Amino acid sequence: MSENAIEKFKFTGNAKEWFGIWIVNLLLSIITIGIYSAWAKVRAKKYFSNHTYVSDRNFDYHATGKQILIGRLIVIGGYILFNIVLIAVPFLGLFLLLALIGLMPWLIVRSMMFNARMTSFSNVRFNFVGTVGKAFLVFFIYPILTALTAYTTAPFLSRAVRKFSINNHRLGTAEFHFDGPIGPFYKAFLVAIAWVVIVGGLGMLATGFNILELAYAMDNLETDPSTAGSIIGMFYLLLFVAVLPAAMIYFAMIRNTVYNATTLTGGHKFNSTVSAGKMLWIALSSFVVVVCTLGLMIPWAQVRMSKYLAENTDLIPGGSLDDFIGTQQAEASALGDAFTDLEGIDVGLPV
Amino acid sequence: MTQNHNTECPAFIGRAYPALQSNRVEATLLSSVPLPSETADQDDLALSIIDEHGTVIATALLSHVTVDPPLGSTSRRITFPDGTLFETDEHQAVETLTGETHGSILHSLEQFRPRLMVLVVACIAAVWVLWRFGLDILVAAAIALTPPVVVAQIDRGTLSTIDFTMSEETLLEDAQQAKIQKIFKRLLSYLDEDDIGTSDFKLLFRSMPDVGPNAFALPNGTVVITDEFIEQFDDEDILASVLGHEIGHVIEKHGLRQTYRSLSIYVLVAFLAGETGPFIEDLLLEGNLIMSLAYSREHETSADHFGLHLAHDAGYDPNGLKKFFEWVTENAVEPPQWLSTHPSSTERVQEIDDFIKTLN
Repeated sequence: MSENAIEKFKFTGNAKEWFGIWIVNLLLSIITIGIYSAWAKVRAKKYFSNHTYVSDRNFDYHATGKQILIGRLIVIGGYILFNIVLIAVPFLGLFLLLALIGLMPWLIVRSMMFNARMTSFSNVRFNFVGTVGKAFLVFFIYPILTALTAYTTAPFLSRAVRKFSINNHRLGTAEFHFDGPIGPFYKAFLVAIAWVVIVGGLGMLATGFNILELAYAMDNLETDPSTAGSIIGMFYLLLFVAVLPAAMIYFAMIRNTVYNATTLTGGHKFNSTVSAGKMLWIALSSFVVVVCTLGLMIPWAQVRMSKYLAENTDLIPGGSLDDFIGTQQAEASALGDAFTDLEGIDVGLPV
Repeated sequence: MTQNHNTECPAFIGRAYPALQSNRVEATLLSSVPLPSETADQDDLALSIIDEHGTVIATALLSHVTVDPPLGSTSRRITFPDGTLFETDEHQAVETLTGETHGSILHSLEQFRPRLMVLVVACIAAVWVLWRFGLDILVAAAIALTPPVVVAQIDRGTLSTIDFTMSEETLLEDAQQAKIQKIFKRLLSYLDEDDIGTSDFKLLFRSMPDVGPNAFALPNGTVVITDEFIEQFDDEDILASVLGHEIGHVIEKHGLRQTYRSLSIYVLVAFLAGETGPFIEDLLLEGNLIMSLAYSREHETSADHFGLHLAHDAGYDPNGLKKFFEWVTENAVEPPQWLSTHPSSTERVQEIDDFIKTLN
């Protein structure tokens, strides 16, 4: 194997094949009232992992449907119980809410641990060693501090979250390390804010939209549905052109910054070259296609994005990729994973 | 497992990794008929992985290895008991080795063929059936599983929240209260014993200046009517049909149904959305919100019917409810929130007229 040569990531999945798996996943999940969704998740994650290659080695996902289902059942049970208590014993519900906030960092860490341990690269499993205490700081204390500074320090929070995630991930015994200056985070943040302000402002001027009208429309949904509908539609359109592209720009700039400043024990480095414009184009055109086909092109859109991201990611090996050594790991429960799925929190390893 | 002993034993090339190591070597997997001393099972095969130099890396019986199920065109993985991983792209060969499994049936179902169109249609049909019947079954099961103690506690809990946030003690005189309690009791005496079940009906009076003329029911049978309502409508027929309407909500368990329904939809969408992506998930949840309003309006109409029936059976004039909604229409005091969860009053007056015709 040639050393120090750039190895490109490659996604070898294809939309036709993934469509077949996806539609069967969906059908079986629906007819089993969601029970199969646990197995569907495994198939989906395994498909995308197996088709992601770098240096002729691929990733794998090892969780079983049964594990995921058990985690989900416990979380659903807890969720229903929590909601009932909230109505039935409101004062106890308040304490439960506090308890849940205390429990969340633990659940997030468990989820990251589960996802890492269930993923492997070249037969070596990942691991996550972040502590609950640090997670509490990163996911609760820092956001409060950020809010206190009127979000002017949001880039620091953004960097802290990535540091927490990356620096605690392991591939076998090899450690990931990320540290970078705050400058690029501020740059991405300011560009994204500028987009929201300029495009949103122009949009509001062009359409004569204002928030008061929206509030009024929401209150009169039934008496005057057509006016309300058009104002609400306008709101979503503005949101679509002002906020989503900004999020995309931010994502692309941050991804490049973070990858370029990440290393893995053994002298391995990473490189990301995604462009905000290209990402935006892919996301918007995919969205239009998905909506026009009533969702049937979702698998195509997912494959398209995965291909683009993989093509723009490189590994710069510092030595042989044959030298990673795995560690024996205790089984992690899928409880945290089910929780983050339910809450829509993304804890996945950004590959 | 297929009959392997009279077919040729497959051998195929791939890559092998020792347990817990990323060290990859080109390797071949050989299979042979096992010695009788190794296994009693005639269909089993002895597998061995050999590297480029012909050195044996790992051996095991087919029945002892784990073969990952087929998944699209991804490489097949065979894990030996000692942790050695063998990876190959010779799909056909692995298929001969394992024979037909649950995984291969699933795999063939997933093939991109015209047949897949049937699955697409089935998917759309399944969403509809789940929406139309599946949710109701889930909700009915959840209601059946909810202990009566919990339902009683929901009443107490909600009432204490209401008392804490927006209601004051009633200013009605005892005689007036007694008169309305009598109507309530009379209505209850016309209920079916089975319908009442574990519900514990009681009528409470509260002054709620901010809420205005209103009445509402809690799941276990606590019905609250505001002083403002009674000041506005001191008419036995109106009171009877409005109380009947609230009793209808309790008997038909509308409160619990709505709670469980929105919980199940949230959970279902959250877990199925892994297949759709976050943006579509938002669309689904927004759509659900609008659909749940329709569901709530359905409940209101159903409770109207129940209340009219009950009032009629108990000897009151069902036109009372109509008078009430006519007053609401004229005075246009309907708050926006009431509007979105309830059918419009003109619509309800119409419905009531139609229904009264069927009573006579």
